[in-house]
Amino acid sequence: MSWIATLIVIFIYLLFVLFLGSMAGRKRESSVVEYIAASRNLGFIIMYFLMGGAIFSAFAYLGGPGWAYSKGAASFYIMGYCALGLVPWWLWGPRAERAGKKFKYVTQAQLFADRFQSKALSVIIAVVSVLAFIQYITLQMKGSAYVFEIASGGRIPFWAGALIAYVVVVVYVFIGGVRGVAWTNVFQGAFMVIMAWILGLYFAYALYDGPGNMFREIAQANPSHLLVGPGTKMSSAAFFSALLVSVLGFSMWPHLFMKAYTAKSEKVLKQTIVMYPTFAIFLVPVLFIGFAGIKQVTPEVLGAPDRILPWMFNNMNFHPILVGLILAAALAAAMSTQDTITHAAGSIFAQDLVEPLKKEKHNEKEATLWIRISVVGFGLVSYLVAIFGGQTLVSLLLGAYGSIVQLLPLAASTFFWPRATKAGAICGVLAGVGYNYLIVLKIIPKFWDIHAGIQGLVLNIIVLVVVSLLTKPMELTHVRKFVTLMDTKPLPAEPEAREPIPETPVAEEPA
Amino acid sequence: MLNEQEKEGYGITIFSSGTPSAVKTRKLLFFIGLCVIILIQACYWLFANSVEPIVIGMPFGMFFIAVFIAIEFVVLLVLYAIEANEMEE
Repeated sequence: MSWIATLIVIFIYLLFVLFLGSMAGRKRESSVVEYIAASRNLGFIIMYFLMGGAIFSAFAYLGGPGWAYSKGAASFYIMGYCALGLVPWWLWGPRAERAGKKFKYVTQAQLFADRFQSKALSVIIAVVSVLAFIQYITLQMKGSAYVFEIASGGRIPFWAGALIAYVVVVVYVFIGGVRGVAWTNVFQGAFMVIMAWILGLYFAYALYDGPGNMFREIAQANPSHLLVGPGTKMSSAAFFSALLVSVLGFSMWPHLFMKAYTAKSEKVLKQTIVMYPTFAIFLVPVLFIGFAGIKQVTPEVLGAPDRILPWMFNNMNFHPILVGLILAAALAAAMSTQDTITHAAGSIFAQDLVEPLKKEKHNEKEATLWIRISVVGFGLVSYLVAIFGGQTLVSLLLGAYGSIVQLLPLAASTFFWPRATKAGAICGVLAGVGYNYLIVLKIIPKFWDIHAGIQGLVLNIIVLVVVSLLTKPMELTHVRKFVTLMDTKPLPAEPEAREPIPETPVAEEPA
Repeated sequence: MLNEQEKEGYGITIFSSGTPSAVKTRKLLFFIGLCVIILIQACYWLFANSVEPIVIGMPFGMFFIAVFIAIEFVVLLVLYAIEANEMEE
């Protein structure tokens, strides 16, 4: 009956997150800029956890130990990309933040569509983003489902576990918008980081008398497990290109890129980037958990490598309440990413796909309602993919990165190269995404184990430059306004948008 | 064809207009420094593809990446401090 105590802890955690997320957006104005960008008013701590929660996902928490367990040193790449992922944002984050304030953007595609004067580009970006998001969110749902499955000893089936996570996330995203996402991420981020450190070190000390001994034993049993290169689980080229595509693509993920619009100021944005590598250090104990499992369970018994973390907790005779807390932390990792993506996907679908195709524009309330409906619909589609799809966690994410990194040339040319044209941008993105998927779908062979996204990116850049130079330049004053964003002083933070208070009649002054 | 003035307007623009050359050099140095940090981590197997020595409980490869994460943090911190000072001025 210990599983009941474990599940009670998990459900208490879920209720608290639901309450926190739903309350965060209370008494706020019902507008697009409030729902998507929190009226451009989030401070440093919230931004830090908002961005951190997005990366500290099921991929890091379940996929990371899974990689450490099954692929060894290849998992070091996760630390590298977590630390480096936000560095390129130093270049476009502040520019996007200023553009957002100046031209009232709330999504990434709005910026690119305006720069290249193309509704088609907005639709293409929305489609690429939503496709990548589905893969990404599926990953989180599978992570949540694993947690419930393990916590209940198999009594909560996979479909029901994913459904519980879907419902909880959709409810607080629907009600709270980005503020709901942000506040739950503060709680979830702090919770999972503390749990990761406690457990990573505990397993290493309890099972091996310290991490040093643990790695020595692993190296003795399997000398190539802690190395990359020929004869190991990951080639050098694959490691290099996986890290590079992750670093280049990370800040291009629309749900992260559009967070530039939520920051209170440029200063807050830069503080977030500076502190971000600390999240990678939090990953060290998470990987320890995977390494600690190598000598405890065989791959045949475990099934999928992604199950190593829940398996370890469930098979170490911990108190059921402690197991509940640990699994709640794993759930926090999955949900803190799932909510950000669900929110972003709903916003992108409504703002970048539906709005440009509509003849009559929605008013603020209608547009916000459309976003909320999209949030529910997108979550449902992802849920169905999670139930009926069947790849392992990490390979799903790597496939998605290949198409998202194709937005990088758009960001670079928007802010630094006014000569880029609409035709160049569209052809470049289509070529890059198309080439990436041709490799992913194995229609054409992969060149020298280099990530499909990097190969697509090279083609994308060549096509963008060549087609832009062959076509008529866009109007100079229009394109220059995007490269001169940093020439002026930053705009002040916008006032917080709260629900309008009904005016009370003022007593007339006596004559 | 574009005339010279137009070519200038459409050229690659990295810095804000009026940025002093010393600031440009400094920004470029930081940019190159961060690129090097990224490349070193991506190519860590060239320098540290070994288990021994185990440092602070981590195999050497993992420790090497952790050290470069710390270096990256310091570089970003310095860059932020300089730019924050400039913004205040």
